[in-house]
Amino acid sequence: MMEAAALERKYDLGVIRWFSVMAVVYLVVGASAGVYIASELAWPALNFDLSAITFGRLRPLHTNAVIFAFGGCTLMATGLYSVQRTCGVSLWSSKMAWFTFSGWNVIIVLAVLTLPFGITQSKEYAELEWPIDILIAVVWLSFLLNFVMTIAIRKSSHIYVSNWFFLAMLVMITYLHVVNSLVVPVHLFKSYSIFSGVQDAMVQWWWGHNAVGFYLTAGFLGIMYYFVPKQAERPVYSYRLSVLHFWALTFGYVWLGAHHLQYTALPDWTGSLGAAVSIAMIIPSWGGAINGVMTLSGAWDKLRTDYVLRFLIMSLAFYAMSTFEGPLMAIKTVNSLSHYTDWTIGHVHSGALGWVALVGLGAIYHLLGRLWYTDIYSPALVNVHFWLATIGAVIYIVAMWVSGIMQGLMWRAYDEFGTLAYTFAESVEAMHPYYAMRAIGGFIFLLGVIVMLYNVAMTIHKSAREGSLLTARAQAIADA
Amino acid sequence: MNSLEEYFYTDWGAMTAADWIGMITTVVAFLLMVGLYVYVLRPKNREKLEAHRHIPVSEDRKIEFGGK
Repeated sequence: MMEAAALERKYDLGVIRWFSVMAVVYLVVGASAGVYIASELAWPALNFDLSAITFGRLRPLHTNAVIFAFGGCTLMATGLYSVQRTCGVSLWSSKMAWFTFSGWNVIIVLAVLTLPFGITQSKEYAELEWPIDILIAVVWLSFLLNFVMTIAIRKSSHIYVSNWFFLAMLVMITYLHVVNSLVVPVHLFKSYSIFSGVQDAMVQWWWGHNAVGFYLTAGFLGIMYYFVPKQAERPVYSYRLSVLHFWALTFGYVWLGAHHLQYTALPDWTGSLGAAVSIAMIIPSWGGAINGVMTLSGAWDKLRTDYVLRFLIMSLAFYAMSTFEGPLMAIKTVNSLSHYTDWTIGHVHSGALGWVALVGLGAIYHLLGRLWYTDIYSPALVNVHFWLATIGAVIYIVAMWVSGIMQGLMWRAYDEFGTLAYTFAESVEAMHPYYAMRAIGGFIFLLGVIVMLYNVAMTIHKSAREGSLLTARAQAIADA
Repeated sequence: MNSLEEYFYTDWGAMTAADWIGMITTVVAFLLMVGLYVYVLRPKNREKLEAHRHIPVSEDRKIEFGGK
């Protein structure tokens, strides 16, 4: 208990606890919305003729909930925790961390209050209207400032690589968000982008792909580089590879957005450049995945007993898979088949469910015992969650692969007279079994998250019953 | 002009200020990346860089709880 008190005295952990719990709560909410809208596509009667719960209204709520509510809270919990641990100091400003927590949650509430009612900028992954965008910039800058200043007051000489990845995310997302959100407000709930036509599309996907590249990749790689070695109790396989991974990813990712706009009004060379750099990105991405997996080199047996480590290592398998699939889909020949089909949805979810969710949840499981000073309530339920998450994700992805490729082939099929072989409605009808399969896969994944929420609640309850956190805090105050 | 020359033909006179900024940024980024690869993969720098591998596992080694 003396050690727990020392930790409580040395670090700011209260805000990390809240971010961790809210991340799991938001994943339950976001994944529930996802399962519901997936079910609406399979069984449209679920719309109930209520505009606020139609697919078009709930889909941005789903993406905002999983990316910004779950993803944001996960990144803030893990980022603010690991920067303290690797720098050997507490947060530069505890008050500012609480401001970040409160502000981020206010933003999430505002998203729930606006998106279902059609108050939106209609920009992918940037739907929230301009007053909320300003609030996002302010809260995000508070996160950035606290992170940078904590590094500035560190006691260690070297800045560990996980912090580089978090920093890249913080800096890049700041200017991506600001530029993409430049609008002319008409009134409090309506604005128009200052960009128009193809420039607007390019700025949209410059933001869109870099939200994936820096928020959902660089930030979560920061998690990987701290939590995989920590959970495996082994140093990262190669620090040199991590340095190459960081710089190649940081220089490379910003070029990729144009591959979302192949065969559009965007100049052809721009799409070619986007595709070429996408292919080049396989090298750092696979280098990073190998670096993470090989950290277990010589200790593979840990995977048999350590269920948290399973989350982290499986996430790297999905990371490797989706960072191969992405460049493949960026190639114009493949893109002509895949674009506008469900294949894209499958690709996004192999990254979102397989990589982002698994590595984030693995990190939160790792934090549970360390934040509440007790063992996880049920390791068996962690294992159950692992299998539900993996099986659910695979069912979802396979359904969308089959559905997407079938869609692409049906849309481009001609008869001997040069007319389309299928009507659009026929392609929609052919999708039905796969849409049902997708909803089932998503539901299985959601079940896993509910199991986790129960396990988290019971672990906190166990800690309260044992008095471990309260005693540590009391001891820390007495020692101060 | 063969097809390769035709493919790489550039009308330098038509380059705008934005084109020059973009091209110079690209070339500088490429050269920095080459420099980085040389620095990181140089055997002489191996020990210095790999010394940082242990940071997460060595910090506060004595204070650990649960997690499995």
